[in-house]
Amino acid sequence: MSSKLYLRLTDPPPDLVPGGPVEFDELFARYGRYVARLAARLLGAGDREVDDVVQDVFWLASRRLSSIADMAQARGWLATVTTRVVARRLRGRRFRRLFHAGPLAHDVPAPGATAEQRALLARLYEVLDTLPTQQRLAWSLRYIEGEPLDQVAAACRCSLATAKRRVSAAKNVIDEVFGDE
Amino acid sequence: MSKRNVGMSHQLDEAGFDKIEPVWGPERERAVRAAIEQRATRRQATVRTATAFTATAMIVIGGFALWNRRPLPPAAQSSPVAANPAPAAPSGASETVSVTRLSPDTVLAALPERGGRGFVLRAGAARFSVPHDAGRPFVVTAGDVTIEDLGTTFTVRFTASDRLNVAVEEGRVRVRGGDTDTEVSAGATLEVPVAPVAGPPPKPQRAARAVATAWRPLAERGQYEEARTALRKAGPSAVRNDTAELLLAADAARLSGHPAEAVPYLERVVHGHARDPRAGLAAFTLGRVLLDELGRPNEAADAFARARSFGGPLAEDALAREVEAASRAGDVTRSRELALLYRRLYANGRRAKAVSRFGGLD
Repeated sequence: MSSKLYLRLTDPPPDLVPGGPVEFDELFARYGRYVARLAARLLGAGDREVDDVVQDVFWLASRRLSSIADMAQARGWLATVTTRVVARRLRGRRFRRLFHAGPLAHDVPAPGATAEQRALLARLYEVLDTLPTQQRLAWSLRYIEGEPLDQVAAACRCSLATAKRRVSAAKNVIDEVFGDE
Repeated sequence: MSKRNVGMSHQLDEAGFDKIEPVWGPERERAVRAAIEQRATRRQATVRTATAFTATAMIVIGGFALWNRRPLPPAAQSSPVAANPAPAAPSGASETVSVTRLSPDTVLAALPERGGRGFVLRAGAARFSVPHDAGRPFVVTAGDVTIEDLGTTFTVRFTASDRLNVAVEEGRVRVRGGDTDTEVSAGATLEVPVAPVAGPPPKPQRAARAVATAWRPLAERGQYEEARTALRKAGPSAVRNDTAELLLAADAARLSGHPAEAVPYLERVVHGHARDPRAGLAAFTLGRVLLDELGRPNEAADAFARARSFGGPLAEDALAREVEAASRAGDVTRSRELALLYRRLYANGRRAKAVSRFGGLD
């Protein structure tokens, strides 16, 4: 019996084919851009902070290469580590904000965005700043990065139910803010 | 509507999340890689330094231990530190010093400069059997009393904290101390008064220093309540006149729910370390504490004015909060003038709305 067209199995993308041991140079060349993009989306920050996160993530990766079985696992592993590094940075930011009065200005790197989109993104990140870090990350992974919920749970290192709960809690706040405006 | 945005508010559908994409070119890639490599080099250097330091420390400790053991004769090594009294060597026949602790509370230590032929007795009792050596007399000190052997076996015992009993079994000893300088022969016993025993090196000072610095690591770990308790116990001198330490002490007070106690620390930074780049932050924090937590708007306005005078990234917020503080203090003229100043300096400022409200410009 032939499989239905929309259910047929396809070949995995070439960069996800399991292979041998992971080399740092290859890992950085293949996923440097991905980690930078993910960091920018989760943080809503400019180049300097994004570069710091990329450094932290690949610095960790360089010391844990042996724990990455192959390139097929590397993307998920890097997503988890990036999420953790960003979470730490967001907590630090929140702590530092104790000494500042106003909200931080967001310099979201969105080169092709219109002025309206930039304003909307800046407002969105202001709202995200008010959310608990874990909820913020879960929502950002789900809606900004477009990850499915199981990947959100894996990146946040929590159960699927917890991930759903976090996404939903954040979504309620965001819907309320953007529904009113 | 993109797939990812299913279920989101309509407004956010248009936000363009796909466009959040840092410019990632080969140059930036190289810069980040270089930074990672620098970090790796730094780590290697740190590991090498730590290894060298540990090896040096072990060599020094080992050398010191060997040097410390060498000059002591066997009896002197074991007896002063033995937990229980050791059997005495046969009297008279011994060619080496034999020392026996006679009670569990005996506190006896070798005098390192005498090469095993001198001890200090701080409590309890001990028996000494000593071959006479005119060139290297054997001495026992107890408080201000010194007992010097003239070839003998004798026992020294604290009968009270201020009384010492010296009993000679064989030969003779000379006992010196206070007004006493007596030779005691075999079979005789001498009881002499003794000045209070000097304690070991100044441990209390070390303990006091430990108490004085205990608050710091607690505050650094974010245990502010414990840090504040430790700080109060140690007293005001526990905080050095150093910007970082003063700010940390202020955090410990403020974040443990005692904002009034943070004020003097912040004032010390503002007035005593005005050239420090963190003085502006301290002035701003002082303003917030005074306004938000202590309800002292007049003083808060002055603190914010001070923070503003330092310039830097806090200047705008400081001016905005100065308007608020002046308004809350009922100083309508000042708040209005400051609000106009804000409007002039920061036409599109983040806090323009609040400033207009507090400055009465609406």
